[in-house]
Amino acid sequence: MMNAVSGLGSQRAVIWWHRLVVMTRKEMLQLFRDVPIVAFLVYSFTLAIYITGNGIRSQLHDASLLVHDADHSVSSRELIHRFQAPFFRLNGEVADSREGLRRLDRGTAVALLEIPPRFHEQLVTGEPTAVQLLVDTTNSANGLSAASYAARIVARFGQETVLNRVGRAEESSDGLPLILSEHRVWYNPDQNEAWFECISHLLRQITIFALLLPAAALVREKERGTVEQLLVSPLTPFQIMISKVLAMTVVILGATAVGLFGIMQPVFGVPIKGSIWLFFTLTALFVVTTACMGLAAATLARNQGQVGMMTLLVAAPMLMLSGITAPMEAMPVWVRYLMALSPLRYYIEIANGILLKGAGMNILWDSVLAMVALGAALFGFGMWRFRRQFA
Amino acid sequence: MTTTARYDNGEAASVVLEQPIVRVSGFVKRYKKHVAVQGVDVAIRKGEIYGLIGPDGAGKSSLMKAIAGVLTYDEGTVEVFGTVVDSERAAERVKQRIGFLPQGLGLNLYPDLSVEENIDFFARLRLVPEQELLERKARLLAMTRLEKFRNRAMKNLSGGMKQKLGLICTLIHEPELAILDEPTTGVDPVSRRDFWSILAELLQEKGMTALVSTAYMDEAARFHRLSFLSNGKVLVSGTPTEVQALVPGSMVTFEASPQLEAITRLKQTFQQVEALGPRLHVFTKDLDPAQAVQHIEASLGDIKPDQVRVDDPELEDVFVSLLLQQAENRQVSAIPSAAKPTDNHGLAIEARQLVRDFGPFRAVDHVSFQVKQGEIFGLLGANGAGKTTVIKMLNGILPPTGGEGWVAGADMKTAGGTIKERIGYMSQAFSLYLDLTVVENIRLFAGIYGLDGRATDQRLNWVMSMAGLKGYESNLTGRLPMGVRQRLALGCALVHQPRVLFLDEPTSGVDPIGRRHFWDILSKLAREEGVAILVTTHYMSEAEHCDQLALMYAGRIVAEGSPGDMKQGVEKEAGHLFEVVADDPGKALLELRRAGFAGAALYGTRIHLFCRDPVRDKDCACGVLESSGVKVRSASMRPLSLEDVFVYKVMALERQDRATTQEAAA
Repeated sequence: MMNAVSGLGSQRAVIWWHRLVVMTRKEMLQLFRDVPIVAFLVYSFTLAIYITGNGIRSQLHDASLLVHDADHSVSSRELIHRFQAPFFRLNGEVADSREGLRRLDRGTAVALLEIPPRFHEQLVTGEPTAVQLLVDTTNSANGLSAASYAARIVARFGQETVLNRVGRAEESSDGLPLILSEHRVWYNPDQNEAWFECISHLLRQITIFALLLPAAALVREKERGTVEQLLVSPLTPFQIMISKVLAMTVVILGATAVGLFGIMQPVFGVPIKGSIWLFFTLTALFVVTTACMGLAAATLARNQGQVGMMTLLVAAPMLMLSGITAPMEAMPVWVRYLMALSPLRYYIEIANGILLKGAGMNILWDSVLAMVALGAALFGFGMWRFRRQFA
Repeated sequence: MTTTARYDNGEAASVVLEQPIVRVSGFVKRYKKHVAVQGVDVAIRKGEIYGLIGPDGAGKSSLMKAIAGVLTYDEGTVEVFGTVVDSERAAERVKQRIGFLPQGLGLNLYPDLSVEENIDFFARLRLVPEQELLERKARLLAMTRLEKFRNRAMKNLSGGMKQKLGLICTLIHEPELAILDEPTTGVDPVSRRDFWSILAELLQEKGMTALVSTAYMDEAARFHRLSFLSNGKVLVSGTPTEVQALVPGSMVTFEASPQLEAITRLKQTFQQVEALGPRLHVFTKDLDPAQAVQHIEASLGDIKPDQVRVDDPELEDVFVSLLLQQAENRQVSAIPSAAKPTDNHGLAIEARQLVRDFGPFRAVDHVSFQVKQGEIFGLLGANGAGKTTVIKMLNGILPPTGGEGWVAGADMKTAGGTIKERIGYMSQAFSLYLDLTVVENIRLFAGIYGLDGRATDQRLNWVMSMAGLKGYESNLTGRLPMGVRQRLALGCALVHQPRVLFLDEPTSGVDPIGRRHFWDILSKLAREEGVAILVTTHYMSEAEHCDQLALMYAGRIVAEGSPGDMKQGVEKEAGHLFEVVADDPGKALLELRRAGFAGAALYGTRIHLFCRDPVRDKDCACGVLESSGVKVRSASMRPLSLEDVFVYKVMALERQDRATTQEAAA
C-alpha cells in the first residue's frame, strides 16, 4: 500500500518534470524562430564585445595640444617637447592666446599650453614663474586626465630645473627630501583596458537579455491569449513562469560561453583565473535573478511595447549605477543603498573576482547570498502578481 | 469561376438605375508573391447597400481600401465618382466624399477621448461647420441611443456601442459613399441587428451609398446587391434573390435515428448534410419539395424521417453549395473513430447557483444548468452577459463567490487540478503558438497533459487525421488558413481525450465550409465518443447545432431549452415571422412602426415583422401599407431563426430593464 502511494507520487513527479521540460523546450524553439532576436543576440555576444574591447579608451590618448609660446627659448622648447605621444599630439602653435581660445571653443583642440615671455630668463634667474594650461573638460574624464598628465609633466620639468640650478645632477639627489611613490598594478598588470571594458560589456549584455527575453516571452503569451490556454491546462503558474526563466538562462549561458571563449579569451587574452564552473554557476544565478525582475515587470505590462519601456526603465539605472560605468564608492549614499537591490551590483564583484582575481566562494559568499535573497524575493513577487492577474 | 446573375428581378426596381458611382474592373492586388485579389469586377449604384461577403483572406479588405483610396493596386481600374483612383492626388480628390470605417472594433477611434470628443474630432478634421455639427451630432446620437454616454470615454463602451460610435464618426461629414469594413464582426446579435437598422435608416434618409463587408453569411440578406468573394475572386454577385435563384433546391429538416447512420447514408447522395442537435438539415439541389422528401426517404432506407419540414434554402446554404462546386476535389477527411467507445450516461457539467462578483458588480447571478455526457450545450448571450466568467469558473481558473459546480466528476472548488486534467479548452483566439509547426504544437500540448511517448504518437496520428492536417505537418501554424488553424486548435484541445470540451467562440473568421466541417467533427465527438461540449458563439446559425441552449442576460440565465423549444416559445409569445417585400421599403417601415408593429426591421429591401395572428395581422399590415400608397409585392411566413429568438428575448429584457429603472426613478 505504501509502495503504491509512493509509486504514484514518483509518477506524478516524473510528469511534473516532463511538463517543465516540454515547456522549456517550447520557449527555446520559439526564441530560435525569432530571427531578429537571434541576430541581435549573436551580434551582442561577439562583434559588439570585439568592438568595445578595441574601441573604448578611458586613458588619455592622442589629446590635441595647442601651444602659445611667447618665449621661444631653450626652456620653453624643452617643456613643449615633453608633451609626448601617445598621450598628447602637438597640434601646432598659435600666435596669440585669443586664437587659441577660439580653437578650444570650436573643439579642434583639447588643451592650450601658454608659456609666458621671459620664461627661460625667470627660470635661470630663479624668479618664480608659471605656465598656464587651458583644458576643454566638456568630456570631463578626458579633460581632467589631460590636466593631470600636464600637471605631472610640468612638475617634473620644474623639479629637474630646480635640481639643475642647485648644481646637482639628477642621480645625486640624495640630500634632498624627495618621496617617490612606487606603485604596482595588481590583477591587470599590463593595465590592459580592453579586459575591463569587454568584461563590463559582457555583463551589460547578460543583464539586458536576462531582463528582456523572459519578460517579452511572457507578455507575448498574454498578448496572443495563449496564456489562457496554459492556465486551463494542468500546468501550475510556477511551471509557466520558471520554464521561461530556465530556457532563457540556458540560451544566455551559451551566448556567454561564446563571448568568453570565442572573443574575450583568444582576441584580448582575458585571463580566467578562478574556477570556470563557479563562474558559470553564479552567472546562471544572476540570470535567474534578473529574469525574475523582468518577469515581475511583465506581469505589470499589457503589451510588448510597455514591457520594453519598463525593462529599459529598470536596466538604465542598473547599468549606470551598479559599478560598471563608475565605481560604487564614488556614488551618493542613497544610490548605494538603492543599488543593493540591483543584482548586477553583486554580479560585477563576482565576475571580476573570478575572472581577474581568481576569487572563490570563500571570498564571494556574501555577494552570492545577497543575490539569492534578492532573486527569491523577486520571483515571489512575480508569482504573486501572475496569480493575481489571472485568477 | 464567376457567375453573374442576370439583372431582371423586379425587386431591385426601388434602386434608382443610373451610372454606377463606383466601378471596379479587373482589379488585382498582390502582397509580394501572394495574390490577394485576382481580377474582380464590381459596380455600385447610387443609393444601394452593396455587400462584400466572404471568409477571412478572401480579399474584401484589399478591395475596400483601394476604393477608399488608401491602398495601391497592381492591375485594373478603380473609378469612384467618375474619377479614376490611380494616384494619391486622384485619391485626395474623392476622399472628402467618402467615409471609411476600417476593420477592427473601434480601432479608428481614440480610446481615451469621450464619445462627444471623438465625434467632434472627426467632424473638425472634415471641416464640418459648427452649427451643422451640433445638429448632426444630436441627430446621430439620438438615433444610435448613445446620448446618455456622451461623456463616457470610448474605451469604456461595449463592443456594439463602439461600433455605433465608429459609424457616427465615419458619417459625420455626410459622405456620399460610406465604406464599412466588417463593422459587425465580434458584435453580439442584438447590437448587430441594431447596427444594421441604424445604417439602413441613415442611408435611406440621406441618400447615401454604402459598401459593407461581412463574414456573417446570414447578414447577406440585408444587402441590396452583393458579391461573394472567395480566394480573391468573385464567386457570384447579384441581389440576394438572384443569388438564391442560382442554386435552386429545397432545405429539408427532419429527425432521424440513429443519427450517425442516417448521416452516413445521406452523404452518399447529398453533399450538404448537417446535424443540428437532434435534427438533420439536408440541402437537396435542383429538387422541388416533394421530390426532395422522396429522395431523402429513398437514401435513408429503413430509417424513417420524422417531423419533416421543407423550406427555401438560406443564402448560407447557397454559398456553401457554390464553394463546393468550385472546389470539387477538395477532400474532406473522414473522422477517425475513437479507440474505445464510452458510455453516454451521467452528468458532465453541473452548475448550481453559481455567483461571481467583481467588486460591487455581479457578473454571474445564480446560474444553474446541467450538461450530460454526449450533449452539445450552447451558452448564448450578448457581450458582457457573463458567459466567459461562467466558463472560467467551471475551468477552475476563477473562484466563484458563491454556489457550487462539478465538472467531469470533480468539484470545481476543491479539485481544480483534476478538472484541468480532464477538460479540453479552445478559446476564440485559437490560442496556438503561431511560431511553432503543426506537429510541435500537438506535441507541446501532449507533453503538457502528461502523455507518454507512445500515447503521444498515437494521439498525434489521431489529431492529424481528425483535423485533416496531413500535408501540413511541418508548416508554421501562423501560415495556415483559418479553417485549418481552428481544427488544429481543436486537435490540441482534444489531445488528451478529455471527457468535457469547452469552446469559447470557436469559429470566428472561418469560412462556411470550414465551419461545417468543424461542426461535423463536434457532432461525431459528442455522439460517438460521448464527449460533453459546452460552446459559446455569436453565430446564431451555429447555435442550431446544439442539443440544449441557455440564454444569458446580465449574468442570469433567462431562457433554456432545445433550439426547437425556444423557437416555439417565442412563436407562442410574439407570433410568427413575416417577410414583406414592398416598394419604397423605407417608407413602408415607418408606416408599419407607426401602425404598432414595433418589431419591424429592415433586411436589405425586405421587412421582417412578427404577427401574432397570421391571417389577421398580415392583412392588417398589408392594409396599412396599401392605404399609405406603398405597393406590397409579397408577404409570406418565414421560419423563425435562432437569431430572431435571441434578439426578441434580449430586446424584451432590455425593455423590462428600462421600465424598472424608470419606475425606480419615478
